[in-house]
Amino acid sequence: MIRFEHASVTYPGGVHALKDVSLEIPDGQMVVIVGLSGAGKSTLIRAINGLVPLTSGRVLVDDEDVTAADRKHLRRIRSRIGMIFQGFNLVNRTTVLNNVLMGRLYHTPTWRTILGRYTPEQIDLGMRSLERVEIVEKAYTRASNLSGGQQQRVGIARALAQDPRIILADEPVASLDPPTSHVVMRDLQRINRELGITVITNLHFLDLARQYGDRIIGLRAGELVFDGSGAQVDEKVFEDIYGRSLTADDVLEKRAEL
Amino acid sequence: MAVADLPRSSDARPRAPFPLARRSLLLLLLVLFGWAAATSGIPVERILRAPAGIWNIARLMFPPDWAYAGRALGAMVESVHIAWFGTVIGAALSLPLALLAAKNVTGQATSTGARQVLNAFRAIPELVLAVVFVAMIGLGAVPGALAIGIHSIGTLGKLASEAIESIDRGPLEAADAVGATWLQKMRWGVLPQALPEIVAFWLYRFEINIRASAILGVIGAGGVGAVLSNTVSYRRWDKAGMTLIVVVVVTLLIDAVSGRIRRRIISGGDTSAEVAEGEMVLQAGA
Repeated sequence: MIRFEHASVTYPGGVHALKDVSLEIPDGQMVVIVGLSGAGKSTLIRAINGLVPLTSGRVLVDDEDVTAADRKHLRRIRSRIGMIFQGFNLVNRTTVLNNVLMGRLYHTPTWRTILGRYTPEQIDLGMRSLERVEIVEKAYTRASNLSGGQQQRVGIARALAQDPRIILADEPVASLDPPTSHVVMRDLQRINRELGITVITNLHFLDLARQYGDRIIGLRAGELVFDGSGAQVDEKVFEDIYGRSLTADDVLEKRAEL
Repeated sequence: MAVADLPRSSDARPRAPFPLARRSLLLLLLVLFGWAAATSGIPVERILRAPAGIWNIARLMFPPDWAYAGRALGAMVESVHIAWFGTVIGAALSLPLALLAAKNVTGQATSTGARQVLNAFRAIPELVLAVVFVAMIGLGAVPGALAIGIHSIGTLGKLASEAIESIDRGPLEAADAVGATWLQKMRWGVLPQALPEIVAFWLYRFEINIRASAILGVIGAGGVGAVLSNTVSYRRWDKAGMTLIVVVVVTLLIDAVSGRIRRRIISGGDTSAEVAEGEMVLQAGA
C-alpha cells in the first residue's frame, strides 16, 4: 500500500509542485493520474520512489517511510518499485537484455554486475520479462535499433525484471502513436490484472485514462482535485481538473467527447 | 537602372570597423615577437641557413643503410611497446578519475577535486617525468612507459570526463529507480554510453604516445630514440636515415589502422550492427 500524508514539494525555484496531498493506494490497483502538464503528476509519481524528495509530509510504501529512508534503505524500497519513463530511458548503445538486466542490479552482487556476469537465474528472469511483453526475440539487439513502441516494451520488461510490487509509469505513451499507445497500455493493464502489481500511470489523454484506469486521480496546480472511478469523470470534473472544457487535444482519438 | 545609378540616400553609412583595440593588439603581438627573438638570442641568419643544413644532412642520409633496417625496426617495436604499455596504464588509471571528475555523476566538490588532480598530471611533460624516472629507476623501457602513462592520465581523464558529461541522463535516472549502487550506475548507465568515445580517445592517445616514446629514447628511456641519438652522435647518417624511415613508416601505419578502428567504434555501431559493439569492447575488457 502507498500512503501520502500531507505531502508537499516545493522546487528550488519556488514552484509548488505538490500541495498538501493525502491519499492511499491499496495493493493491486490500476491508478491513472491526470492533469495538465505542470500540475504535479510527475512529481507525485517520483515522490513514491524518492526520486523527488518531499519538502514536507510523508510518503509510505508498505509502511516504510520513503521520506526518512537513508540511501541504502531507499535502494531497497526502490528495488520493489519498477519505473517506466516517457523517454524510455534505455541505454541505446547496449543490448535489450542488458537494459532489462538493470532491473536485477539490486539483487546481484556488485562485483558480478561490474563484470557483467549475471547468473543464469537472473538472465532467465530477464528473458521471462521480455517474453511477457512479447519482444524476447530482440534480446541481443541494440536498444537503439528498436522502434519507439518496442523500446517502451523493453522499458516495461526492465521494470518487470525487478519482480516489483508496484510499477510507476510516467507518461509512458506520450512519445508513441495512438495504436502503439494502446498496445503499451494493454501491457500495463495485463500486468496489473494477471500479476496483481499496483500500476500507477500518468496520462494526459483523458480517454486513455478512462479506458484503462480503475481509479482516476486528478491534479491541478499541485492539488488533489479529483479521486474516483473513470465513470464518475464528467464534464464538470473535467473542468475542475483542467480549468477549462474538453478540447480535441485532451483525447488520443481526435473526438472531443468522453 | 543599374545599382551604381541608385541615388546616395543617406549620410548615416557605418564606418568600416577596425577599432583601435584591434590595431594595438596586432602591434603588441609584433612587439612580443621581436622581444622574444631579441632576448632568446635567435640569430636570424642562422634560421635562414637552416634549410640548407637540413638539405645537406638529408643528402647524407640517402641512400640509407638498408642492412640497418632490422636493428631500427627492433628498436621501433620497443618504442611501440613502451607507448602501448604507457597508454594502458594511463587508460586504466584515468577512467576512475574521469568518473569522479564528471559533474553529472558526482558532486561539485568531488568533481573540482578530481579535475585538479587531472590538471596536475597533464601539467608535467613526459620528458620531465622520464628524466625523473630514469634517475630513480635507471635506464630502459620502464621509466619511459611510466612517464607516458602518468602524463596520459591527465589528458585521457579530461577527455573522458567530458564524454561522460555529454551522456543522456535518462538511463541514470532509470538506474536510480531500480535501486542501483553508484558503481552499478557507472557500469550500466554511464559506461555503455560513453565508452565508445573513451576507447577512441585511448587509441588516439596511443598514436600520440608512439611519437612521445620515440623521443624519450634520446634521454635513455628505451626504444628507437636511443638508436637515433647514437647514430647521429657517431655521424652515421646512413643508419640515422634508415631509422628515420622506419619511424615514419611504422607511425603512419599505426595511425592509419588506429584511425580506422576509431571511426568504426564511434560511428559503426549506431547504423546497422545488430550486436552492441560498445558492449563487446566492454566485455573484452572485463
